[in-house]
Amino acid sequence: MPVFEHEGQSLYYELHGREGDPVVTIINGLSMRTSHWAPYFEQLPARGCRVLTYDMVGQGASSKPVLGADFDDHATMLAALHTHLGIDRPYVLGISFGGVVALKYAIRYPERTGGLIPVSTFSELDAQLEGHAVNLYQGLARVGFEFYLDLLMPLNFSNDYIEANRELLHVIKRVGASTNELYGIQNLMESLADFRSITPELERITAPTLILNAEFDCLTPRHLHDIMRRHIAPSRLVLVPRVCHAFTLEIPTLTSRLLAEFVQQVEAGQWQGDQSVWIAAEDPNAEPLLTYCDQDHLRAIPMPRSGSSDTKRQAGTRKQSAPDASKKKAAGAKKRSTADTPSKR
Amino acid sequence: MTESLEERQRRVKRHLRHGPPDAEDQTRITLYLQAVKGLNASVLAKLEWQPVDWLPYRFLHGQYYREMELSTLLGRATQWSSQPMIYMEAATLSMDLWSRTEAARYLPGFFEVDERFYGYLALSHAFMSVIRFLPMLPPSMDLDSDPFLSALKAIEDENGRQIQTQIRMLKDLDAGLSRQERERIVEEQRERVEGSFAELLGLLGQPAGATIERGDA
Repeated sequence: MPVFEHEGQSLYYELHGREGDPVVTIINGLSMRTSHWAPYFEQLPARGCRVLTYDMVGQGASSKPVLGADFDDHATMLAALHTHLGIDRPYVLGISFGGVVALKYAIRYPERTGGLIPVSTFSELDAQLEGHAVNLYQGLARVGFEFYLDLLMPLNFSNDYIEANRELLHVIKRVGASTNELYGIQNLMESLADFRSITPELERITAPTLILNAEFDCLTPRHLHDIMRRHIAPSRLVLVPRVCHAFTLEIPTLTSRLLAEFVQQVEAGQWQGDQSVWIAAEDPNAEPLLTYCDQDHLRAIPMPRSGSSDTKRQAGTRKQSAPDASKKKAAGAKKRSTADTPSKR
Repeated sequence: MTESLEERQRRVKRHLRHGPPDAEDQTRITLYLQAVKGLNASVLAKLEWQPVDWLPYRFLHGQYYREMELSTLLGRATQWSSQPMIYMEAATLSMDLWSRTEAARYLPGFFEVDERFYGYLALSHAFMSVIRFLPMLPPSMDLDSDPFLSALKAIEDENGRQIQTQIRMLKDLDAGLSRQERERIVEEQRERVEGSFAELLGLLGQPAGATIERGDA
């Protein structure tokens, strides 16, 4: 079992893929562990990326200090792990809680960040997320770990996935409760107790940044990802359709392609971090994979942007306006797709 | 060479793939947990003499009664073994638990918020976080339909709630100890409990009295 010892703590990690390929380092969400990324151990190397996953202290097979660790320690320990493994400029992906660690890492170690991939995450807490965090914490502490996972299930997964995987989710829950220690996860949550917005610091991020946000992420919704897009200059925001907060577990094939194509573009010097917004195709084999988002991406109700030609158009009959609008979008999408879609290299 | 706790956990996990614990293992587990809870309750009973406005009392008072409740529930749900050697092993384990954890040092006199009290809190945290059986059971095993497994689950769920008191006090209590001293105490107590728990795991799945005959219990 590969373990890195750092200042009295053990970090369990796994490294898959060919030496010399660019490394994607994956930082878990709160109650995840390395094995949740198993599909990526094959799919990312098949697309030319090496993948490093590890359990943060408090998680899975890593140390679980009873008195907890400071939140900033997670980024420091990751930097030490990279040094230990001889990884210079990894692409750092973090999901949810791990996304905040990834942002901190990119802010603190700009020279050691080849690329940044914040997924289903946040740089500041809004009232709703704070409410969710308090509920999850109380559920964990007052009722128990399985209840905490029960609270997360409908936030993490889509209806279709839950319906199709009821038995599997039951096993996932048991495994999660068995392999994690309640106090370890609680310490991770408590390390965020003094969390202050890092949004003002995002402007220090210079690494190419791909922000991924699921269409139906009700835990860390769109506007929190948009804050990152607006404050990180070399970024793009990609919206992932029909999935929820923990979509990396649900659609690994599409996610792997999104990650690998981002890495390939950065490596080839073709990444255009222009703070634009894109929509991923549902089909992981679609060409092009991404379509430029010309709509108001902050609304759940499909609305034209204020000031766009769609708003200026007077509402005609339903029969007339709807096809016109769709034709226009398709044309716009095609134009952007051929000009600068990230799938074109 | 003696197996580590992790090796023993893996061995027991492999053993439990074949089915839930038999009467011998149920008896061993129950007597061990009752010894742990009995030890903890002995210390907690003493706290009933502390002033009611002593802050830790309010938190620990409830634990005293929960420990007794869960201990008796498990006893009712256990399929007891008829082999006397199992009970001899359990008595040996219980003595080992008391001496290994030096629990007697927490019994005399009143508690003050000091190193001794902090040591007790760290010990009771270790009891609730180290001694876990559910991670060794197959995730597909139905816990609800088996009274013994269901009681074990109830204990571990309740431990998760009860441990909140220990977590809060270990982190926040001002016992005049540095962070380094607190970490040392927590680590020492965990090692003691891990050593004791490993002794129990070494017995599970073995013929009754095997370790006594070998003289290594």
